[in-house]
Amino acid sequence: MKDLLTKINHIATQKFGAQYAEARAQKMVKTMLTLKEERVEAAKQGIESGVALRVLVNGTWGFASVGSLDHAILEDAVSDACKMAKMASSHLKQPIKLSDTKVVTDRVRSKPKKNPADISMEDKIKTAMTVNKTGLGYDKRIKSFTIDYLDLMGTSYFANSDGSSIEQDKLYVWARIAGSAHNEGIFTFSREEIGSTAGYEVFDEVSPENLGEKVAKRAIEQLGAKSLKGGTFPVVLGPNVVGVFVHEAFGHLAEADLALSGGVLADNLGKKIGSDLVTFYDDGTIVGSFGAFKYDDEGVQTQKTLLIKDGVVAGLMHNRETAQKFNAQPTGNARAEDFRVEPIIRMRCTYMEPRDHSFEELVENVKQGFYFKSFRGGQANLDGTFQVGIQEGYEIVNGEIGAPVRDASISGNTLETLNKVNGVGKDFLLDPGRCGKGQTAFISDGGPHISIKEIMVGGSA
Amino acid sequence: MAVLKKEVMVDLAENTVSKALKNGASEAEAYVYEGQATNIGIELGQISKTNRIIDRGLGIRVVAEKAMGFAYTNVINDPTAIGDVISRALSAARASKPDPDWKGLPGNETYASPEKTFDERVAELESGELVKVAAAMLEAAGQVDKRVFPIEGGIGSAYISNAVANSSGISGFDKGTVIECSIATVAKEGISVTPVCFEFNASRSYEVDPVWVGKEAAKLALSALKTKSVETKSTTLILTQFALQDLLAYTLINAVRADSVQRNQSAFKGKIGEKVASDKLTVCDDGLFAGGLRTWAFDGEGVPHKKTAVIEKGILRSFLYDSYSAKKEGKESTGNAGRAGYLSTPSIDTTNFHILRGDKKADEMLSETDDGLMVYYLQGAHSSNPVSGEFSVVATPAWKIKKGEITHCSRGVMLAGNIFEVLKNISLVGSNERQMGQLISPWIQVENVRVIGK
Repeated sequence: MKDLLTKINHIATQKFGAQYAEARAQKMVKTMLTLKEERVEAAKQGIESGVALRVLVNGTWGFASVGSLDHAILEDAVSDACKMAKMASSHLKQPIKLSDTKVVTDRVRSKPKKNPADISMEDKIKTAMTVNKTGLGYDKRIKSFTIDYLDLMGTSYFANSDGSSIEQDKLYVWARIAGSAHNEGIFTFSREEIGSTAGYEVFDEVSPENLGEKVAKRAIEQLGAKSLKGGTFPVVLGPNVVGVFVHEAFGHLAEADLALSGGVLADNLGKKIGSDLVTFYDDGTIVGSFGAFKYDDEGVQTQKTLLIKDGVVAGLMHNRETAQKFNAQPTGNARAEDFRVEPIIRMRCTYMEPRDHSFEELVENVKQGFYFKSFRGGQANLDGTFQVGIQEGYEIVNGEIGAPVRDASISGNTLETLNKVNGVGKDFLLDPGRCGKGQTAFISDGGPHISIKEIMVGGSA
Repeated sequence: MAVLKKEVMVDLAENTVSKALKNGASEAEAYVYEGQATNIGIELGQISKTNRIIDRGLGIRVVAEKAMGFAYTNVINDPTAIGDVISRALSAARASKPDPDWKGLPGNETYASPEKTFDERVAELESGELVKVAAAMLEAAGQVDKRVFPIEGGIGSAYISNAVANSSGISGFDKGTVIECSIATVAKEGISVTPVCFEFNASRSYEVDPVWVGKEAAKLALSALKTKSVETKSTTLILTQFALQDLLAYTLINAVRADSVQRNQSAFKGKIGEKVASDKLTVCDDGLFAGGLRTWAFDGEGVPHKKTAVIEKGILRSFLYDSYSAKKEGKESTGNAGRAGYLSTPSIDTTNFHILRGDKKADEMLSETDDGLMVYYLQGAHSSNPVSGEFSVVATPAWKIKKGEITHCSRGVMLAGNIFEVLKNISLVGSNERQMGQLISPWIQVENVRVIGK
């Protein structure tokens, strides 16, 4: 494979004058299941292979993707990519340049304790069925239960014109569980995700029974929850919500491509924008975490990247292009969903560093506010406006957790909110998730419990 | 552009079906897909990237002992790979559990010819021409004001074809084109940055107006630069298509899917024939809408697209069915089996979800709003409760309307409510129809939505 890819890169640089060329071939096998209640809607398997070719000609990117490993087809595709880039470069004002990186030759093998390929489809169905049966059996008001399961295994072959050549295994195990409950005109909905880059052993860490019960319990509890009256309140956020807050409210703004697009962080590098308690990382090195890998899709080794330290903006997440623009080092954040798309700057595992408060201390200080434990969806905007939907939350009255509230969300401006963080817990939890930025990336995020002096809370009461 | 011929795709689908039957499937369905896309990308204010993506593949569903298995591959020119994908589908089915509700794949059908879904000019567009269109759009955006910064966008043209065949006699082929140009801008002044303001044109034929797209996106960003807060209260909203598309996708559309209803996940269960919305609201799902972005001859399992009345003058008329959910109720499929190319099994989805236009022009809707907000983009609509229809989202941004005129922009305004209440509180339906993804809709004015200001 290395020879084939090197030859194609060679054609780009020698025949078409590309300044840089990279080829990324992938072979992947996927197993997917969807179970609705006790019905297996479909057991699915997929095989994919293809090549992504990316070239830099006259400072303009050309990209081609084909579902073939055939030399002639790849040669056509790379010449097409070079010609298109050349044509488009006629309008270029600032040619794209890449920062230098280490030339790497490596081979990365995944070593699962339980290889999903060794688990039979029957066993996977059995595990998924246990989740659904436990959920449905939890309470007769549970009306529907869905589990989507995916395992993806394969190998990615990377070669670029700088001389790097990397062969890297990919392994993802993921499941999403969703349950709904209905009682006397009230509908509730609850969901969880699990994900791992370690192996099928993820189901030993969280049992299928626990998963089913967790989702069902929340759906039932929400039946008794009330809508809240929106406004500005002090809140305590659980690690699951903190993770999404870190990812959405800050993480996206710290992606260097978005920072360059006018995001509020570019002008704040080295400046203090948040409370002393705020330290965030984006870390691709946590073995087994969803979003961990050794090399990104530009062949750059992943790392633990400090984003903000004690409230001071410390760095951004870079690919080779943005690193060059900022005169920084690439951070290993260039990821492509598969061979059909180009690598772009994506997060890996993004989290807040714990401090020393206990959960009780954080709640104690809130007179009238909310404890938001679990999220449902979140989104950020370049101007620093973020929104995180809440699927599980409670009132806090006089320092004590009270009645559950339903379908709330929090919103605010990132910079203002980071200044209002007034307590950070000593616990720590990571949750897997998926992030959409045109492509889907498997990520994780988390942190400790935290308290925020005030934040906008949306509710319809 | 070299594309797979109709005969090649249909033969592949039909042969795969026969081979699957021969290998032990009691029923089989093959779906063959080809997509070829060319994109010219704008990044950080300049045209700096191009791409061409060719994606072909085959997805096969087989039934053995009433249990379903599915497999796909993107290696379609190799008989061994096809044989492998058939055995994978079969082994998946054998590992699976029989479904007592399975009543077979849909049978032989005749197809209407969809109108305005294929344009030779789009299929044959040279990348040089696309670069010119992108440049025109960029220039138009840049000319509006120097505080406006086009951050990303581009133009893409695509050719898509699919063939489906099954063991009940279905055999179909359809092809189409899509072209889309879009631009996202922000405006900056001092330390103030606006939210991302976005415009686009998308069409099945070569009818896009890049200059309009560029100008509109820039104007929107500019108008969002100066902001004032709004007060917390219940108020009137004008929801543009951007806001409606986001909000309905995660709420109303979930409620009208037959599988949601059958699985007790819809607030509309048992409400056919009942009033569920303002009598100003009429919605149909129209898979044959001329030039519609989701218009095709047939759906993901080869059932003809058709027009289905969903809500008529506020009365709930029908849910959206694929063949499985229809057979469960002894009904006909409404042709709503969606499919994400060859990579997935069919699942219920809208085609063109069409909210019929009313008679109010955009400026009349504004002038008839005494006190309210105009909402373009929403943030967080996907965090809505898909079952209860409750939402709590942020308008990024919203424009305050006072005595029929837009007075100022406001950022970070939260909107909260329940979509089923919102539908009952529709007060005006515009005549300014526009297609956006699966939605074809005019602006809609609704009363009494909770707004949380700063």
